[in-house]
Amino acid sequence: MKKIYALMVVSYLLWGQGLWAEGLIAKYVKEDLSKLNLEALFWKEVTPETIQLIAQPMVAPRPQKTLTEKLWVQVVHNGEWMAFRFKWKDKEKSEAGPLGKFSDAVAIQFPVKEKEVPPIFMGAKDSPVHILHWRAQYQKDKEKGFQTMKDIYPNMNMDMYPLEFANQYSHDEMLKKITEEQREVFVSGKSAGNPQSFQKIKGVDEMMAEGFGSSSVIENTRAEAQGIWQKKGKEGEWVVQISRPLALEGGSILKAGQKSFMAFAVWQGGEGEVGCRKSVTMTWVPLIIEDKK
Amino acid sequence: MATVKNWQLDRQMDYPYEEHRPKKQWAIVFDLNKCIGCQTCSLACKTTWTSGKGQEYMFWNNVETKPWGSYPLAWDVRVLEKLGYQHWDKNKPYSGKTVFEAADPAEKAVHFNPQDEDWMYPNRGEDDCTGNVSGGKYLTLPHDNWFFYLPRTCAHCTYPACLAACPRKAIYKREEDGIVLIDQSRCKGYQECVRACPYKKSMYNPYTRVSEKCVGCYPAVEEGKQPMCVQNCIGKIRIMGFINPPWNAREDNPVDYLVHKKELALPYYPQLGLEPNIYYVPPIHANREYLIQMFGPKVEEVIENYKKIKNDPITQGLLVLMGSTDNIIHRFKVSEGSAYAFDEKGDQIVRVPVTEPLFIRTPWDEKLGVIRNNTP
Repeated sequence: MKKIYALMVVSYLLWGQGLWAEGLIAKYVKEDLSKLNLEALFWKEVTPETIQLIAQPMVAPRPQKTLTEKLWVQVVHNGEWMAFRFKWKDKEKSEAGPLGKFSDAVAIQFPVKEKEVPPIFMGAKDSPVHILHWRAQYQKDKEKGFQTMKDIYPNMNMDMYPLEFANQYSHDEMLKKITEEQREVFVSGKSAGNPQSFQKIKGVDEMMAEGFGSSSVIENTRAEAQGIWQKKGKEGEWVVQISRPLALEGGSILKAGQKSFMAFAVWQGGEGEVGCRKSVTMTWVPLIIEDKK
Repeated sequence: MATVKNWQLDRQMDYPYEEHRPKKQWAIVFDLNKCIGCQTCSLACKTTWTSGKGQEYMFWNNVETKPWGSYPLAWDVRVLEKLGYQHWDKNKPYSGKTVFEAADPAEKAVHFNPQDEDWMYPNRGEDDCTGNVSGGKYLTLPHDNWFFYLPRTCAHCTYPACLAACPRKAIYKREEDGIVLIDQSRCKGYQECVRACPYKKSMYNPYTRVSEKCVGCYPAVEEGKQPMCVQNCIGKIRIMGFINPPWNAREDNPVDYLVHKKELALPYYPQLGLEPNIYYVPPIHANREYLIQMFGPKVEEVIENYKKIKNDPITQGLLVLMGSTDNIIHRFKVSEGSAYAFDEKGDQIVRVPVTEPLFIRTPWDEKLGVIRNNTP
């Protein structure tokens, strides 16, 4: 089994190298790319490139088969911002929420250090990568606010949570002053400051990683994202735009007229894909950033 | 995969990380012959740890009625089914495969992934007997129709599957007491631990979007106190302490004494290979085949050992120390009809009589010249 995997990986690497000798061209456009618009006219002038994905083969737990084989990518920039438009087939919209349910997602990875291409699988120690990670779940946060238990389970009933008896109507002066923050001290994810436990206002996370499982979220990302799932006959597809400033200080710095690299990953949440269970590119895809005209 | 020693299976086994035993290992022994299924432990835990948002159906400690009860739904049956038939001869090392050894190369452990609705019936099967007790039946040992209560916490395993499966390495086992914790600041809610733990003691919180689990009441343990589920057990069926591997067992350590010295308690589903650290004195009345499946081939011997306690004042003394103190007992001794418990420094925590003094209250009160009755 391991031999077959190794063979698959090697043949894919060889094939991938040839396919991406030229790379993706980020076309220069004179548009405001900080605003998200999936149907903007300039997208029609950029041919989508097909990116081949393969089930993540390196670390367990890993998916048994490739669920997303193709990812269509378009890239444009205006000298200050770069925008990506992704499209992939997914028969259902999955936004996570209840136990055992996961979110559809897409991620782009960039090298951080200039003139150094880190290992494709989320970098390595002292060879970091910079990741933009959009999730349908985060998008729901952005559109509808942080998902409360009532949102996730509309028919649930709960008599009382800790400290909920204390509010502005309490007779005791001290209880009147109980803040939401104090109430949530028992909500461990929040009190530990885990970024997962707070509303994702941008729909996209910006992360740094130095190897598998090491990603950590950067606060106050400037990247923006918007996605839409649409039904296509019996099938369905996601169209997602992620926009980022060319220069993200502390992350990756892209420059017009220069080359960089990218890698991609897609998760089909409805099929149980999450974390390492994903479809990925096996080689870095060159990114050629057109010079300003 | 590394090769590690699993003393519960009496053999080496495969595990994703090297063997590294903590300085001390948190452990609880439960006497299932005494559990009355009152759920006071479940509530003690719930009010302490899981009364918040996203924890509505979360029970780090639960008590299920075996064989029909389970939380989440059919966790034990489904894990055993996934593992498939395995063999274990009496007095021999386990010859079957563990969840790590039987795993597909793409996975860290054989597992199933419980769904939302599987967590929604924590008291399913409660108090259900295996069958009807019809007219003309009489009691046998073991009983023809039976059930028993199985209280469960996280087993703070020596080889945790949750820890092995976490791709973010957000789960760690504490060096000082062997308690297994999920780092609440690093967990990303992939639920790999929920999938991988065969005992299903990692649980996902949909409000915080991260997974949570029994913390072994570590703040209490750090203060030398037993966990809340143990302190509040009204049946006095539990004792929490620190277990040593058999090669370092100490006769005056209460957990070592019950598990290693007297062989009165066994780990549950040891064949899964996690070296779990909750141990059970098996119920003497339940079906033996079922008990062998749950506790391994030694169970009959252990039940026989339990029946001998009536002639063993030292074990009797230790059993009365269970539930007699909130403090962790590091050492005990029994002498002259009293059982003594000592803390880590060697200071005495409590002394209890092995047999309670008996006072006979005659129906006739000589002094007052009246008949006593119990009517208030």
